Amino acid sequence: MGFDIRRLLDRIRRGRTDGSGDGERTLRTDGGTTSSRGSKVSRLRHSDAVQALPFWLPPALLVGLFVYGAVSWNLLISLTDWSGLVQPDYTSLSLEMYRQMPDDPSFIAAFRNTVVLLVAFTVVSLAIGLVLAILIDQNIRFENTFRTIYLLPMALSFVVTAIFWSWMYNPSTGTINVFLSTIGLDFLTMDWIGNPTTRLAAIIFALTWQFSGYAMVVYLAGLRAIPDAHYEAAKVDGASSLRMYRRVIVPQLSASTTSAAVVLMVFALKAFDFIFVMFGDTPGRSADILAVMMFRVAFSRTEWAYGAAVATVLFLMALSVVAPYLYMQYKRGDL
Amino acid sequence: MANNRLVTRRQYLLSTGAVGTAVLAGCAEDEDPDEIDDEGNGNGNGNGDDDGDLEVVHWWTAGGEEEAFESLVDGFESETEYTVESNPAPGGAGAAIDAEVQTRVLDEDPPGTFQIWPGEALRTYTDADALEPVGDLWEDGAEEEYLDSVLEVSSPEGDVVAVPINIHRLNNVFYNVEVLEDAGVDPEGVDSPEAFLEALEAADDAGYVGLTQQTQEPWGVLQLWEVVFTGQHGVDAFQQFLDGEAAELEAEIEESLSLVEETSEYYNEDAGTVSWDEANADVITGDAAFHHNGDWAAGEYQGADDFEYEDDWDYMAFPGTEDVYTMVMDSFVMPANNPSPDATEAWIEYCSTVDAQERFNPPKGSIPPRTDVPTDEFPPFLQDQMDDFEGSDEQVTSISHGSGLEPGQASEVEEAFAVFTDNWDPEETTEDLIGIF
Repeated sequence: MGFDIRRLLDRIRRGRTDGSGDGERTLRTDGGTTSSRGSKVSRLRHSDAVQALPFWLPPALLVGLFVYGAVSWNLLISLTDWSGLVQPDYTSLSLEMYRQMPDDPSFIAAFRNTVVLLVAFTVVSLAIGLVLAILIDQNIRFENTFRTIYLLPMALSFVVTAIFWSWMYNPSTGTINVFLSTIGLDFLTMDWIGNPTTRLAAIIFALTWQFSGYAMVVYLAGLRAIPDAHYEAAKVDGASSLRMYRRVIVPQLSASTTSAAVVLMVFALKAFDFIFVMFGDTPGRSADILAVMMFRVAFSRTEWAYGAAVATVLFLMALSVVAPYLYMQYKRGDL
Repeated sequence: MANNRLVTRRQYLLSTGAVGTAVLAGCAEDEDPDEIDDEGNGNGNGNGDDDGDLEVVHWWTAGGEEEAFESLVDGFESETEYTVESNPAPGGAGAAIDAEVQTRVLDEDPPGTFQIWPGEALRTYTDADALEPVGDLWEDGAEEEYLDSVLEVSSPEGDVVAVPINIHRLNNVFYNVEVLEDAGVDPEGVDSPEAFLEALEAADDAGYVGLTQQTQEPWGVLQLWEVVFTGQHGVDAFQQFLDGEAAELEAEIEESLSLVEETSEYYNEDAGTVSWDEANADVITGDAAFHHNGDWAAGEYQGADDFEYEDDWDYMAFPGTEDVYTMVMDSFVMPANNPSPDATEAWIEYCSTVDAQERFNPPKGSIPPRTDVPTDEFPPFLQDQMDDFEGSDEQVTSISHGSGLEPGQASEVEEAFAVFTDNWDPEETTEDLIGIF
């Protein structure tokens, strides 16, 4: 490389001594050496931030370029009217793409579905996860086995789960309808995926199955962190189990709830794979979400600017989920 | 000692910084595509001219398609000095190839050649002058062996920019012979879309699924509407629709949508949850009478045990479109800024030859666009298709398979049909379709 670290190091060391005046070091009364604190440059050079530069600078630059740089560029593209395989024109920027959105039935449907998916999926997953965690926390036998079984679906790829859920949802041969008719609930059998009114609910159910195990693990860790004394005190005071959990235990799980909710919401925003595998890039108004719409608009229609605008909306939604969480952590001093 | 260790730590610090900077510099540097090629790391494909490699991006990664492509590559490599660097972008019918190829064309780092539907799908690239004319590169005399309609589809802006390598037919109806006999339907008598509806009803009365279909993705119903429309109103009206004059065809569009809506009563119960091949399996098992699809569906029948052409399954042109060949084609192009112009030229020339099309099409289950390819290598079903092709009066392209409308409009039409399969409202969908143009 023709690049000698040792020589560079020497030069820097020389620079440091030069900076501290005439090169002589004066003794401090406590036996240490002092350095001149006169010049601003020198103070800057000795600050923690500068000394730690090799550690924080490369990752900061990489993240800055590939994450924040890309986000900013995406924002810039959304302000142009770029479409087709030509280079974008950055000279006239406007909010035209965002202005189109409220008049686009496709966007409205995708936005509505994304919000429904986000809220319903998160709430249901948290509820199921909490119940499972409480049940597993009862010192049952085969605890580890159950924990693994519940968590395992999360390890599967969306591609796999989308395909086998569409088999399970098959109205004539699928497990779900067969099971329902076996136990005499024929009136509940439905064309789950084929019927637009149940389609989104069916997707949410499948995603919940996959991710409630994650909520369970987070809650379980939260439950384990609560001292036994709290349980005992509640028991001594004569609280029923239900009351104990409702009044004493669950309120202490708010930190677990927040962190699990944030992760689940971000997953919900990214449910692209699941829907894309099931329906392709045009799932129709009843199952379209912003992530799929973004792909369709950008890559099937080469309307890059509109796709970028959809991406920006998606980014803002993700930000509005994560930002309050970060702020809370900051207030608590965890950040 | 202590001092030494300090130096070591500093050295470590510095090298971390240096490496980080070097990495960043490497990433930020705007590298010349040729340079990337010479280093052999342009998307993992060395495709410089020097090493005689040709990068081909395609989506043929499974079953007969894969076999067909491999056989094409074998032929090319034995005829020329070049080797093919296959770069598949898997995903049925090109679900993933757009994202890959478009971004590379934008970055002026295109592959040597890539697979694309000819016709309007080329428009995305021709609008950006991203394709070189390839008309002169075809083998001498090849052009005369192509039908005019196929040449036209290869040259959306006047110059020939693509070489079609295969043709699938879309306007087929496949049926289970035994089921039709049992239901008392005579395929000869089914000569119009309306008669087809009656046949579905008869099959339904006999206890069979009338028409197996998949409605999970919108293209299934879209392609059915395309052939119903052609069957009811003719190729000229359909071409008028493709030319963007949908507003003048309001009554016709609604009429054919209504007929499609009526067919939906005879679909398999699980149409919304299956893919086309799962739906098609109902014909093989004898649960269903008809299946409408491109002739790729025949591959499944040929692969099934004890399921013989003409004895157990057969096909007819979609009723009302007997003299029409609705074409679904694949082609290769020569991107501008080509990393391997010589190899690409050789590839284009080879694809236009009899040898290439004879190798490629039998395993693919399609017919060659050249009309002088010997039929010996082809199974009887495809031989019949080849006769139908040469005997057809009119050839037309399809929206659902890329050649009929430019991609932006085609995607909007698909969306309209995704809504149609939800609400089955011909009136609303007619308005949606007219609104696109």
